Amino acid sequence: MAKKKAVLSIDGEIQINYKWSVGKAGDRFFTELRDHKKIMGTKCRQCGRVLVPPRIFCEECFVEDMEWVEVEPRGTLLTFGESYFSTDGKRLKEPWMLGIVRLKGSDGGLIHLISESRPEDLKIGMPVEAVFKNKPEGNIMDILYFRPANN
Amino acid sequence: MPKRVAIVGAGMQKYEFRKEQTVEEMVFDVARNALENSHLSKDDIDSVVFGSAVDAFCGINNSDKVAIDASGGLLKPTMRNSTSGSTAISTPILGYTHVASGMHDLVMVLCYEKMSENDSAQAVFNTVYDEAFVRPIGLNVPIQCGLEARAYLHKYGITERQMAKVSVKNRGNALSNPYAQLPMKLTVEDVLASPYLSWPVKLLDTSPVTDGARALILASEDVARELTDDPIWIKGVGRGADSVWFMGRQNKDLGKLDYAYLAVFFFQAKAGIRDPMAEIDYAEVYDPFTYKEMQHCEAMGLCSEGGAGRMIDEGISLKDGPLPVNASGGLQGEGNPIGAGMSRLCWCYLQAKGQAGACQVPKDVNNAVANGWGGMYQYNAVMVIGRD
Repeated sequence: MAKKKAVLSIDGEIQINYKWSVGKAGDRFFTELRDHKKIMGTKCRQCGRVLVPPRIFCEECFVEDMEWVEVEPRGTLLTFGESYFSTDGKRLKEPWMLGIVRLKGSDGGLIHLISESRPEDLKIGMPVEAVFKNKPEGNIMDILYFRPANN
Repeated sequence: MPKRVAIVGAGMQKYEFRKEQTVEEMVFDVARNALENSHLSKDDIDSVVFGSAVDAFCGINNSDKVAIDASGGLLKPTMRNSTSGSTAISTPILGYTHVASGMHDLVMVLCYEKMSENDSAQAVFNTVYDEAFVRPIGLNVPIQCGLEARAYLHKYGITERQMAKVSVKNRGNALSNPYAQLPMKLTVEDVLASPYLSWPVKLLDTSPVTDGARALILASEDVARELTDDPIWIKGVGRGADSVWFMGRQNKDLGKLDYAYLAVFFFQAKAGIRDPMAEIDYAEVYDPFTYKEMQHCEAMGLCSEGGAGRMIDEGISLKDGPLPVNASGGLQGEGNPIGAGMSRLCWCYLQAKGQAGACQVPKDVNNAVANGWGGMYQYNAVMVIGRD
């Protein structure tokens, strides 16, 4: 039997550009990161938790009673993952890595690139530190990546 | 008090990487099959509830609008639900509330996803991530799951070999499923030799991109008793949602799924189930990745916490085991059209009714459970069905 003929299809494209507000908390976070290479969190005055990324409210106490605090640019690697594919799907010889970092002085953390190491060098629970960009622009890539730290 | 609700019919169709049907044609296919399966006609249905996770897959926003005519929903109250992958079970829960509230007697629940219409499902998935803190660093679904799987294996000592056994089981089970996209006869070594997407997750630990739809028909107690002498009741439903900030906050440990345990607590309370291992006869567990089946078995109490490795080693979840899991093939073997993962619940119903064909397990199925999972490791939805 001959192969069934495929039904017709129509080609199309959706291309839309966006301009996302980073909000009040994001504005302070990215401004401090750009101008002073500081990582800031918001501390809930009621439960004492320090949120990074910061928010203007505490989702547990459900109040807008926060103060800004600086957290350390180092912390603990909670988990990590590597990829042998680029973001556009190309096969890579050397893997790139992401990790979730609980920053010291906060109850939250960041997901970010992990570099200056290979997957076999990394362990859950090890200390890592941020490496900052020389000419910051006010976005999350002002932190270039995290790398293993000496404690 | 909520009124009792029964499932009285299921509508199936073959899952494929690329279906030539439009969304509307897919919906018509399963709506008609569900009506036939329940011996009802279009005019018997009071209301239709739709579930679909991500419109950007098919490139048609508010895609439920094209599902109205095709579901038999013309001039009826309809509603669309979307909670990422957990749409698979939160949609039948929404249908359940329509009947349990006394508002309607017969509701069709219709879930669909057409993932093949775009040229990169991965690019669509990437638009889900937070635009300021997460997207710029290039997170993708394989790494997202690698992060979680590594934390899970680390916490409980689960092995890649145990994960591989889940893939062998599910893809093998799919050989008996006429609707399956990816039935495969595999060995553990085949799975272990497949390329890593992100350690410990390999290609054969992963479910495929899929087009497909499923329908269920829910009935109030009076109507269910008119339609059948053997109603399969919805005995408990549960849902839980955690913070979008998976890096910290409430969900403090990616190895253990706090939100999933929470959802299961609710369903157990409502279903009156105290000991799932003893009282659940059959499970269809959300398994987009092999380790997810294992985590969800633990969260639902189908094995002990950290015990999912032993569960698969001892053959407990095999088709002829004491607590079979995903005898249909699951998302791994049947296919994973995100919102239409409601197939997990359809198979629980077919197993309970003895209508599962070659997938039928060799035991009585009086209580069965299905779950759905999605978001930034956020959502879980659970439903337990069964006889009195």
